Amino acid sequence: MSRPGFVLTVDERTPPLLMHSGESFRLQEFPLGSRVVYPPESLPGLVDVDEAIEQALLNPIDSEPLTALLRPGMKLTIAFDDLSLPLPPMRKPDIRQRVIEHVLQHAADAGVDDVELIVATALHRRMTGAEIKAVVGERVYRSFWPDHLYNFDAEDRANLAHLGTTEQSEDVEISKRAAESDLLVYVNVNLVAMDGGWKSTAVGLASYNSLRHHHNAHTMIHSRSFMDPRHSELHSSAWRMGRILGEHVKVFQIETTLNNDAFPSQYGFLTKREWEWSLRDQATFLGAKRGIDLLPSKQRRRLFQGMEAPYAVTGISAGAVEPVHAQTLERVHRQQLVEVDGQADVLVMGLPYLCPYNVNSVMNPILAACLGLGYFFNMYRNKPLVREGGVIILNHPVPWEFSTLHHPSYVDFFDEVLAESTDPKVIGPKFEQQYATDPWYTHLYRTSHAYHGVHPFYMWYWCAHALDHVGQVIWVGGDRRSVARMGMRSASTFADALELARDTVGSSPSITYTHNPPHLLADVR
Amino acid sequence: MTNPPISAALAGRRILVTGATGFVGEALLERVLFDLPDTRVVLLVRPRGGISAEERVANLLRGAAFGRLRERDGDEAIGTLIGDRIEILAGDLDDIPALPADIDVVVHCAGEVSFDPPIDEGFATNLHGTLNLLAAIEASGARPHYVHVSTAYVAGRQQGHIREGRLDHNVDWKYEAELASQLRDRIELDSRTAERLAEFSGEAEKQHDVTGATSVSAEAEKRRAAWVAKALVDAGRERGRSLGWTDCYTFTKAMAERAVEETAGHLPVTVLRPSIIESALQQPFPGWIQGFKMAEPIILAFGRGDLPEFPAIPDGVLDVIPVDLVVNATLAAAAQTPEPGEPAYYTICSGARNPLRFGRLYELVREYFIEHPMVQRDRGEVKVPQWNWPGSARVGQLIRIAERAQRTADRVVTSMPRSNRTRGWAKSLDRQKGRIEFLRRYFDLYQPYTEAELHFTDDATFALHSALHPDDAERFGFDVTVIDWRHYLQDVHVPAVVTPMTTLQAMRGPRPEPTRTIHLDQPDVVAVFDMDGTLLSSNVVEAYLGLRLPELGLAAKAREVGEVARALPRWLATERRDRSAFLRMVYRRYEGASVAELERIVDEQLTASMLTRLAPAAVRAIREHRAAGHRLVLVTGAITPLTRPIAALFDEIVAAELQVDASGRCTGLLQRPPLVGESRASWLRHRANEAGWDLAASYAYADSASDLPLLRAVGHPVAIDPDVVLSRVARKERWPVELWHAGTAPKREALVAAR
Repeated sequence: MSRPGFVLTVDERTPPLLMHSGESFRLQEFPLGSRVVYPPESLPGLVDVDEAIEQALLNPIDSEPLTALLRPGMKLTIAFDDLSLPLPPMRKPDIRQRVIEHVLQHAADAGVDDVELIVATALHRRMTGAEIKAVVGERVYRSFWPDHLYNFDAEDRANLAHLGTTEQSEDVEISKRAAESDLLVYVNVNLVAMDGGWKSTAVGLASYNSLRHHHNAHTMIHSRSFMDPRHSELHSSAWRMGRILGEHVKVFQIETTLNNDAFPSQYGFLTKREWEWSLRDQATFLGAKRGIDLLPSKQRRRLFQGMEAPYAVTGISAGAVEPVHAQTLERVHRQQLVEVDGQADVLVMGLPYLCPYNVNSVMNPILAACLGLGYFFNMYRNKPLVREGGVIILNHPVPWEFSTLHHPSYVDFFDEVLAESTDPKVIGPKFEQQYATDPWYTHLYRTSHAYHGVHPFYMWYWCAHALDHVGQVIWVGGDRRSVARMGMRSASTFADALELARDTVGSSPSITYTHNPPHLLADVR
Repeated sequence: MTNPPISAALAGRRILVTGATGFVGEALLERVLFDLPDTRVVLLVRPRGGISAEERVANLLRGAAFGRLRERDGDEAIGTLIGDRIEILAGDLDDIPALPADIDVVVHCAGEVSFDPPIDEGFATNLHGTLNLLAAIEASGARPHYVHVSTAYVAGRQQGHIREGRLDHNVDWKYEAELASQLRDRIELDSRTAERLAEFSGEAEKQHDVTGATSVSAEAEKRRAAWVAKALVDAGRERGRSLGWTDCYTFTKAMAERAVEETAGHLPVTVLRPSIIESALQQPFPGWIQGFKMAEPIILAFGRGDLPEFPAIPDGVLDVIPVDLVVNATLAAAAQTPEPGEPAYYTICSGARNPLRFGRLYELVREYFIEHPMVQRDRGEVKVPQWNWPGSARVGQLIRIAERAQRTADRVVTSMPRSNRTRGWAKSLDRQKGRIEFLRRYFDLYQPYTEAELHFTDDATFALHSALHPDDAERFGFDVTVIDWRHYLQDVHVPAVVTPMTTLQAMRGPRPEPTRTIHLDQPDVVAVFDMDGTLLSSNVVEAYLGLRLPELGLAAKAREVGEVARALPRWLATERRDRSAFLRMVYRRYEGASVAELERIVDEQLTASMLTRLAPAAVRAIREHRAAGHRLVLVTGAITPLTRPIAALFDEIVAAELQVDASGRCTGLLQRPPLVGESRASWLRHRANEAGWDLAASYAYADSASDLPLLRAVGHPVAIDPDVVLSRVARKERWPVELWHAGTAPKREALVAAR
């Protein structure tokens, strides 16, 4: 039986605690009385995944069984989450592959000929053939790529459909193929509470014209948090759009959830509580730490990016979007929710090597900021783990390093936009349009493997709630130039960071350290 | 015996002065105008650079030397001087206009000022100029007192006491002059032999900033002309030295003296031999000097700390004489008309009665700079060097060692891969080179003067001074014993030299680095970009392997890599010599490849790596040009398929087009010559002509010396991560230099290939 999440109070017996820091990790001592939030241990996975898929498809929630929705001559579109999920990528076979194979089998049995598979990339980069193959599996790839299995293109005007506007005048513009299908099946991997629901289709298959209504500083400041759909402006908007979408096309939503087995067994120490480390865990930690720090950057990156998670599937739900998603959230909460009593003055987080946007790529400073201040900060319900005006201490080296292949507009955003202002509310009106419509960024988004020109803005908006909420952000071990460019401060050590924080929170602040990944969602009381 | 006052002796006389725009001439003119109110002057002045002779004189009268005259007489009176007291003859020594018949005195100050002119020019100015002047005097019917300004150093490399009088030699000046005038033709002929021409071309090809046949031939011709000039200079110096003079200057000056003695026997002749003329002691004001003479660059270099040693002996004499003493002696001599056929000789020097020794000069100048140190921008006060007088042989050796080290370092740096560090090294090497060249120039120039142990005697001059009318003793005196060297150097001369330099420096301030500005609202502007090394950090061989390998099987792959590796040294050697030939060698290997296949490989496999190497700053520059409405042109020696990933950025692409056979396979040949070096510039000019582009308002971006013709073809060249040679040109021509691949560029090896 897996143990629930747990809040440790640091005392004399507490050993130094593991902390992620980019492509490395280290052991960090915390002041007495600091609180450390541990995620629940991994839930057991389903014993027979194929059986569970079949059950979900044939006994969906608030919907006819999939088989009843399929008929010869129909137009079937299957859309699925891209490589931003799950993190780290899942050991093969990917759950999406298994679900898609089942759906395709039923479609074939029903004599459906017109089938297309679309990667719901929205404004993310196009996945390469090899990356898609890793998600859908060899068989599906060989049968459908590239004519009937392809990346969504949000800039292909001819293949977008404007379905109308919501009651709040938000444009709903999505993939024409999806909108004009007789059935749209969406296959998701619901890693965190933000994912899934109407966000899958209404965001994943949408154009900039549609996304701009909720991907902006105003919405993000009012999404408290975007990991809690009931209190997220982002989700309210996506749900409004989804309902318009639902009026036009029948959506059959398939959502899957994973447990917390985020790291291969040889890195087992990453998911264990430090005082329970065996001699073997301690030895592997030491060996891995030494070895990784000695590796040249190329090999180190290859090692980390090559990691595949041995996730187990904890559940599969299918049917109507909203009830399916309710079940999904319940499973996600069961795996990730930890009750935490009250806010702290200082929130400490260790940022790992990976975020949704640097799979097989470089974690640039903007992505690092987004991972810390966007994703990790928002992993709460009710109220943030840090009090208003408190301090966030992040651990990451923040190298001034970009992939010009994947993140070309990030380079210019960092050099031109952030150099002028770091306030999300200021940069949006001033620069967003220019980046969103730049012909070269658009060209690279459509033909190469670049994130859309506007994407760095979204990353910065993701940070808006945290930047608005806290008084100071300090990076331990961060490249001074990069950190300063983002309007933040860097410290050489954790002790120095606390020293810097003193101006804001005094000399004996309360400290909370979230011991993730694996993911946890703090329910702050 | 006392002579009558100079003003009385010269009252009512007309004096013809040559070289009035020169140092001594200007000082002389000022004294005549200021102190001899009843004397009129005729000036022979050469119109220059579109400025007439009159204007040149008018400009002169507005200058600093005439300040006290303007102050005393008022600007109005100065305005009427030309016409009233000054007659101007526009002309030159080799084209003298008719002279007035009523000239009483001629002071011939004009002459070659360089120490090592080409031999024919030395003779033309110093000897033929003098002969022409004497002929013109003859033709005018006047019988004036001819005062010839020579130099004390006509004594040449004699040792011991040098008396005032006819020089003791029997060199046939006519024959020397005749042969010297033939030397230019001879040397020009010599420079055109096949061997020599081949040598010049060979050297030109080796030069790194030379690309293509046109610039090689231009460079070869430049080298030939330089060779001719040097041969003529060498001929002058060596002929002078072989006959016992220090250089061409003193040699031709001595020849001129002899020519005067032999052709002006019917005129009263005075020969003046001043030593090294420096700034004024008193008049027109203390420290007045025109331009830089012999000692000033040395003094400044010493003050800047750039002169660590000096090739002189501390007890050697530097014979310096203030210009106003020379002028006084000239006027005194001009007032005393000798008998025709019995020339008077006066040596005007300080060495005989008040010698300034190098050791003393050094101490006094050093004291001055310790008291008033020069300040180097942002580096504080300069440390004043301390000389140990190691002797000229040792100094010469040190300079030779420095030169050799400099050349070696330069060769190394030029062939090193480009980086900020090598560019920095090249910059400091260049600064070092400037210093060494300066040392070499002054070492060569000074050596004969510092070595020659000349002791001039000036008994005649001293007698002339002693015979001055008591009224003149103060105003026109030239007794060198009154010079207090400490006062002269520390209060007069060195401040006069240093102050203008330091104020100029302070006024100019630090020079800003040139930056690129994109001008809006100009029609027909293009921005031309080079690809490899400028937009992308990659090269042709890498691209070749990237293109060819995916097509081949495993064994073929290994073979291909091996062959390329073996060919690489040959390719690199060829690239250095001829980039076009190099490209052809690489492209030959594309033989048999299918174009469609190449394009597919570029799209599927090379696009990612090329976009990874594309400099974000390059895209930003392109975006700026696009916003300004400029036309964007990509010029590259790479093959067309390789431009596909970045084609969308440009309006026009010129690349190497592979020739294809009927089956769509490459033949290994090109459809037209690759566009490299000069051909880029000529293509651009041709295309601009055709399309009406305004190249003067256009931009070009490139990274290597081979692109110099392209960069020079436009009004706004920009050097991107330049190699050493290009970075040197960019610095010299003040082109903006931008680093697109350093600093913000991603570490490409750290990028994992997509799975």
